[in-house]
Amino acid sequence: MNEFIERNVRLSWHAAKRSYEVVIVGGGGHGLATAYYLATRHGITDVAVLERKYIGAGNTGRNTTVIRANYGIPEAVRFYQRSLDLYASLEEETGRGITHRQKGLLWLAHSETGIRAERARAELNTAFGAGTEYVGPDEIKKICPQLDMAGGGVWPILGASYHPGGATARHDRVVWTYAEGAMQRGVHIHQRTAVTGLIMDGDRVTGVETAAGPISAGAVVSAVGGHVTALASMAGLRLPIRTHPLQAFVTNRYGLGFDPIVSSSNLLFYASQTAKGEMLLGAEIDRQPSYSYRSGHHFLQSCGHRAMTLLPFLRNLRVLRQWTGVCDMSPDYSPVMGKTGVGGFYITTGWGTWGFKAIPVGGEQMAELIATGETPDLIAPFSLDRFARDRTMADRGSAGTH
Amino acid sequence: MTNDKSLRLIVDGSLVEFFAGDNALVALLRAGLHPSQGGCLCLAGDCPHCLATVDGVSYVRTCQVAARPGMVIKRHPSDAPPPLPVGDCPGTDIIARHIYCDVVVIGMGESGRAAAAEAQRDGKDVITLDAAAGQEVIGIYPGPLVVARTRDGMADVHPHGEIVVATGAAEIHPVAPGNHLAGIVTARAATRLAVAGIDLGRVVAIGTPPEGIAVEQAAGELVRFDGVDRVEAVVMRNENGSERKIECDTVSIGLGLCPRDALLRMGNGLAVRAVGAAARTSDIPACPRAGTVCHCAGVTVDDLESVRARGFHELELVKRATLAGTGTCQGSVCLPYIRSFLADRGESLQPPFTARPVTRQLTVGEAAASSYHQATPRTALDGEHRRLGAQMERAGGWWRPWSYGDTVGEYWAVRKGVSIGDVSTLGKMLVSGPGALELLERLYPTKVATLKPGRSRYVLLLNERGYVLDDGLICRDDKTRFTLTFTSGGSSFAELWVRDWAESWRLDVRLLNQTMSLGAINVTGPLAHELLARAGVGDPPQYLHHRTATVTGILCRVFRLSFTGEVSYELHHSVADSVTLWRRLLRLGADLGIKPHGVEALLMLRLEKGHIVVGQDTDFDSTPRRINHEWAVKLDKPDFVGRQAILRTDKVPLDRQLAGLEMEGPAPAEGALIWKGSDYVGFVTSSVFSPVLGKAVMLGWLKLLEGELPAELTIVGRPARRVPTPFYDSEGSRARA
Amino acid sequence: MPELKLFHGTRIVATPAALDTAVWPQDALALRLAPDEVFVTPAITADIVDDQHAIVAPDAGFAGAWIVPDEALEFLQRSCEWELPLERPAFAQGAVAGLPVKLWLEDDRVLFLVPAPYATDLEERMA
Repeated sequence: MNEFIERNVRLSWHAAKRSYEVVIVGGGGHGLATAYYLATRHGITDVAVLERKYIGAGNTGRNTTVIRANYGIPEAVRFYQRSLDLYASLEEETGRGITHRQKGLLWLAHSETGIRAERARAELNTAFGAGTEYVGPDEIKKICPQLDMAGGGVWPILGASYHPGGATARHDRVVWTYAEGAMQRGVHIHQRTAVTGLIMDGDRVTGVETAAGPISAGAVVSAVGGHVTALASMAGLRLPIRTHPLQAFVTNRYGLGFDPIVSSSNLLFYASQTAKGEMLLGAEIDRQPSYSYRSGHHFLQSCGHRAMTLLPFLRNLRVLRQWTGVCDMSPDYSPVMGKTGVGGFYITTGWGTWGFKAIPVGGEQMAELIATGETPDLIAPFSLDRFARDRTMADRGSAGTH
Repeated sequence: MTNDKSLRLIVDGSLVEFFAGDNALVALLRAGLHPSQGGCLCLAGDCPHCLATVDGVSYVRTCQVAARPGMVIKRHPSDAPPPLPVGDCPGTDIIARHIYCDVVVIGMGESGRAAAAEAQRDGKDVITLDAAAGQEVIGIYPGPLVVARTRDGMADVHPHGEIVVATGAAEIHPVAPGNHLAGIVTARAATRLAVAGIDLGRVVAIGTPPEGIAVEQAAGELVRFDGVDRVEAVVMRNENGSERKIECDTVSIGLGLCPRDALLRMGNGLAVRAVGAAARTSDIPACPRAGTVCHCAGVTVDDLESVRARGFHELELVKRATLAGTGTCQGSVCLPYIRSFLADRGESLQPPFTARPVTRQLTVGEAAASSYHQATPRTALDGEHRRLGAQMERAGGWWRPWSYGDTVGEYWAVRKGVSIGDVSTLGKMLVSGPGALELLERLYPTKVATLKPGRSRYVLLLNERGYVLDDGLICRDDKTRFTLTFTSGGSSFAELWVRDWAESWRLDVRLLNQTMSLGAINVTGPLAHELLARAGVGDPPQYLHHRTATVTGILCRVFRLSFTGEVSYELHHSVADSVTLWRRLLRLGADLGIKPHGVEALLMLRLEKGHIVVGQDTDFDSTPRRINHEWAVKLDKPDFVGRQAILRTDKVPLDRQLAGLEMEGPAPAEGALIWKGSDYVGFVTSSVFSPVLGKAVMLGWLKLLEGELPAELTIVGRPARRVPTPFYDSEGSRARA
Repeated sequence: MPELKLFHGTRIVATPAALDTAVWPQDALALRLAPDEVFVTPAITADIVDDQHAIVAPDAGFAGAWIVPDEALEFLQRSCEWELPLERPAFAQGAVAGLPVKLWLEDDRVLFLVPAPYATDLEERMA
């Protein structure tokens, strides 16, 4: 018997209408959460989510499910902490399981400068409500006994920041929970419906083109991952986004026994054990921009090698599968959300390696923006026009790994 | 085949005899054991039913490993995954060999042999990889690259030409109640077991019968397998609906073939071609009515029905909602049935899941074969530092002496006497040619043309967004020749930056990166003149001048500058001479109290002077204005990289700025938050207790409040003030002395 | 385990044409690191290259060792991801054992060169 079989969510599909109040392009976490919060918080249910493949097929279903708020600037810490809190209460709110596990996250330092950076992270996080503390080697070993504190003689572990709120949740269940919650309230989700163009009335977006015909909309939201620059260009917008692949792999299933999420600032990998028992390993984004989902051998080799250096028990575990997602990277490593300057067109992008963490808060805030027409304070710093206004949000806590 | 008593392996702690030529699975079956207590066996590496822990490695397909004397096999727990290994797993490093060839043929069955022979006839250099010979391909990657696990390590095969997938086809397993019992085998497995001398007892064949074995053919539709642990009977339904029970010891399954085309699909877009059975279309079995579909994840037909009824219609969604196909066999067993099931329920026959590496299992240790950590370079003085007892740290991408054990003493040697520091890690680049001046004018925001030969100038390097990439010096050697320096951490990027622009602008320049060829020793302190005089340089260059000189008999380029705030000479020399020069300087300065200083002391010294460290005090969106370096940017130049962006952002009111800060008492940690009353205004980027000033001095980011930088602040609960920099010797007279 | 020693020589950056036409001393090994760059060991004088803007710099920035071919090829097979030239002599360069290595392959010996700051790492990785 498999405890992971989905036994609660019920997805109800509808025939497409020709017109909706809100059309959301992209049936990933952000698009579905936006629909969910429009319906549940604002009573806006005349909403369609258009998905090119199947819901969660893009980066939501490919990401490594780390939820954390230990970012590097106050605006981001507050934003992701809100997300952490929404995630923690999502099961209660919806009555659906998302396999949410609070695990604690260790970010390891291997040098004097690394120690300083982790101390600074702890200080900033604590001040803005995302509990993070600096811990020394003894405590690190208690939190994660499997670590080789000598770092294989190459990268000794000297200290770490510890973020007890660090958690994971099953990505697919997050997708389905939001999808079901939205559908129950009347939202339509259309799979296999690629948006091929935007319908403009003057300088205003009034709908979308699909293979099945045009759909008009009072507001169009791009919650697209990957080809977001292509979609935005249909509205005449240039986005400062580059798309880079990010890879990961899992081992076969083993008995549970690796509790935390462990990251290394120098070795640029991170490890956790899924609820199923697989060891899940990831590393930094590929340097070369690309939309490709093809996996590389060098990643498997190098990530495995780096992880084994600090976690030697991995050596004899058997690899099950590797895969690739793509990350829309903004120049300041912060998300881009809100109004676009083009009437009727909203955007939520720049989700780099931090999109999954932000699904609840991203959806909640975008829904509020669409419903009220006012940009909520929590996302005002992340508006697209910050680049033109020289108000970039450089965030060193967005590591480009997870 | 002979029964040799020395051939024994250990299964769950008990000795089991095997025959020469047995694989581990056959050895188990010979002893009446089933690796996973039950489930249809294929003996072909496709299914998950023969998995066991072999010599400490779990999830090994016992049908794919030869039995060896002393081999330790542990069966996986029947109700849980194998335990996570505890503690270290030391192991020998596994080697990956790189092999180049024209053509790779994967699979050495009939079609593979034919393909290999044909390529060889065409004069091609052919590499064959055959799972039966222990060469299991784990994936096809861009390159193209075929990665295989072999008996003596990994093989990374790089074909110039095509990859031929001749992996054959897998037999379709049965889905019916009782398919978890022992005694069910595929037709091909039945033949192979019979050949190996395993007593199969009464064999009933469903579908295509096995070759070379007497069987009873079971007609009709499979209803269920009966038995407790082992199959005792199979129940079939006739066309008229009546059921018939056939007693047996073994059931042979011949329900059709599914191509082993995962590698073909993985190689989509590369020069990959399938031949033989791997190229055929999959047989689609009848829609299953009951029983386990996916054994890896424990998914039954009822489970498929349950998720489908709740709106999960897409193959991928059914997979994700049940986890069917996500286990060790990656869908080899269940995929034909899920497709059949969904087609039966009115969906079209959906294409198979995406094929991803790895197709055959390998350990993390095998995956990491012949992988190396990024090396951290060492200066020519590395041994000297270690002999002097330095705490070595990775800083700026190099091994550097953090401290020789007395950081404050090292600091005072610089402030009051003389000290030497190893700055070999600085980036150093020569630029020569008719286009050199134009290149630098267009790259840097300073007016390079006004720099006279023999002079140096501090410069920022900006990107197109006007953000600070790096800082360093431009030193003019003559009309067409310059030396550039970069920070230790920034130099490898800066080199590419300079080369890329020189290339883009098609300028007539010669560029030579000398970072790793030249050592550099910084002689600094009020007694630096004295030490240099003793070293043979009685007339050293003036502040921000440079020239060639012989120092202690060693040819050096001597750059007069200052990062520490004291008189400083940077001696650039061949790395072959570093140790000699270092030792001679220490000896010459012994009676002056000379001490080497490490990075920690250097960071204190420069902070007292308010000098930034790019990357520590700057962020990746720091404009010159934000770091108070507008003086280093000449906007009246016609153009330079970043100028357009700066012209634009200069019109926008400033929001934050790096500023000098001071407070009484010990220095707060770097990263400490800065408050104005209860408002957060920024954080400290550099912080030190200044021995010479007797207070803490810092650099930190401050937000402007109503257009003004706040002046009275709180840091770690104590009052702090914004003050101008430098904190020490604001006139700069010491450096110029 | 080979002990790497500094190789004294001359680094020259000049126009490709000037390097193409230069005649190196008989006993010198000239490695063409790039179209516009050559490393000549032992050191030579400046006037060999016909380019008034050439950079001609004495250089001891590479550490290296001569290795017998069997050992060299055995090591390269597991440490070098790219294809080695088949002809001899031949120059090749790229990542070897994760380090920026330059190779000069002769019939009866192979020269490994690496920037001196990586010498210790190459020694360890060849051991």
